[in-house]
Amino acid sequence: MNRGPDERPAATDRGSVPSPREARRDESGPRHASERRPGGQHARGQRLPSLVALALIAVLCAAGLAYLALRFTGLVRVFFSEASLSVFLGVVTLAFGFWVLRRIRPVRDPALDASLVAVAWGLTAATAGGVVANAALGAIWNKSLGLPFSEVWGAALSAPLNEEVLKLGGIVLVAVAFPAAVRGPVDGFVIGSLVGLGFEVTENFVYSMNAVVQAGGTGGLVPVVQTHILRVGLAGLGSHWAMSAVAGTAVGLLAAAAWRPGPRRAVGAALLVLLAMGLHWLVDSPLFGSVLGVMIEVAVVFLTTMAVYFTVRHVHRRRVRGALASEGTALGMRRSAAVALANRHGRGRELGRVAAPERPVVERRQEQMLAIAEDRAVRHTP
Amino acid sequence: MAEATEEGPRAYRRGPRSNWVPLGAAAAAIALLVVAWPLVNALLPGSESVPSGEPVPVGSASGYRATLTFPQEGWYLDTGASQAGLIYRFHRGPVELTLNAVTPVTSPPPTPEELWDGMREIVRAGEASARLGGPEAISTRDGDEGLTGVLESRHQRGAAVVYPSPDGRLAVEMTLAGREATMADLTAVADVVRSVSFVREEA
Repeated sequence: MNRGPDERPAATDRGSVPSPREARRDESGPRHASERRPGGQHARGQRLPSLVALALIAVLCAAGLAYLALRFTGLVRVFFSEASLSVFLGVVTLAFGFWVLRRIRPVRDPALDASLVAVAWGLTAATAGGVVANAALGAIWNKSLGLPFSEVWGAALSAPLNEEVLKLGGIVLVAVAFPAAVRGPVDGFVIGSLVGLGFEVTENFVYSMNAVVQAGGTGGLVPVVQTHILRVGLAGLGSHWAMSAVAGTAVGLLAAAAWRPGPRRAVGAALLVLLAMGLHWLVDSPLFGSVLGVMIEVAVVFLTTMAVYFTVRHVHRRRVRGALASEGTALGMRRSAAVALANRHGRGRELGRVAAPERPVVERRQEQMLAIAEDRAVRHTP
Repeated sequence: MAEATEEGPRAYRRGPRSNWVPLGAAAAAIALLVVAWPLVNALLPGSESVPSGEPVPVGSASGYRATLTFPQEGWYLDTGASQAGLIYRFHRGPVELTLNAVTPVTSPPPTPEELWDGMREIVRAGEASARLGGPEAISTRDGDEGLTGVLESRHQRGAAVVYPSPDGRLAVEMTLAGREATMADLTAVADVVRSVSFVREEA
């Protein structure tokens, strides 16, 4: 039984999704309607900044990659096996992290293009900028505070500022380049975490090559493996992805207000950025030097990040469910069937209830209905 | 995650802010960090005098602390280019002394010959044309034994030295060279590479 795409199913049809084109539009909630359009199209005034942001990202990523290549060519040439293993472990970390972090976005995956650009920024531009800025600021601390003090506190005084701002800058650029992909705190969280993931992977490579030098070139692959065990296995849960997710949530808050936040939102965003820097400071501070100390740091960073995540996730899911319920009512769908579309599992279950030949059409309608529901949810985001 | 519903209408009345604003702010912040810090760093004086006869701590590991004592006056520590506990760059006129504190990770620790081979690779990674000659035995003034050899590259010629600590868990690797340095300059300070000491640290 195949229906035409515009043919409305009976309200009692299980799993069916009527065409959302017939849905009544909720006129009560839209804010900043002038700059958002359903389906992720660029609104007037967004296209040129978006293109410029994309071009800037491309140029800075290329420059960052070139700088890193220049800086590490000698080490890679001489310690090729060590570098190859490090790259391999980095690719594994990246693939797993990319899958997990895109998967944790509630309702549906983030846009693939924005996700890839976010990771690319973290992998290249942010890391290269971090190497330059950290080296310069570290030298400033050496000169002004002395080598012994800098040895202990240098990282904690440099990295939280330099690295968090460089990653944050990238998240903002991605938000401007892909305005439809970063529309609220949930998007900011996920895009931020992807920028942090890319940063982490390149930083792991840098650290592992430094460890090879630190071992006097005598350790073979051991320093590389040790570095990854420590930085991914032990400290991975509380690393760059987490801090940048917190900072990215701030970007999402600002993007949701069309970059013109009220005082409360501006303060909230600033506090989130400061929180990300504070977490980074905690990780780099010499206060917790033992393995137990590192585990405590990781736990603090991870649990704080999860608190932010579950807050924005709860708010977003509640709004999407509300929008789906109202959309479903307008279409004559059962409320439970409409609300079930708010998560991947529910959509799969509903899809399983329709005949196989109809699934592609129903799936398309689910996507359309979700797009409208998320648009509504975002427009309701204060 | 403030749900400040009262903010929306106000923002709506004022209208959305142009996307140029966040774009400009992000670009400015990035540029500031990668340009401003190097500029400030370049403006600060980068070296400090190291008095002769006073041991300079250059690294520690596994219960040993390594120090370097300059026999001559006129040495300077390049603080901006050094990293405490890892790498120290000194200069005296055209002569440059680079010291790396190395902490091997393998067990048993590497032999002096293995340390030399590793150093050969690290030197080559830093400068593609750099080569270390066959090593000869050398010892510090305190009697700790190590290896030394000629360092040659397209741009400079000098000496390389490696000393493992008594337990082998720490090593000091040095190169003494300089692009503008003559053999006379190098010979005048050659004994600096024998002034390394390993001191057992108190628990």
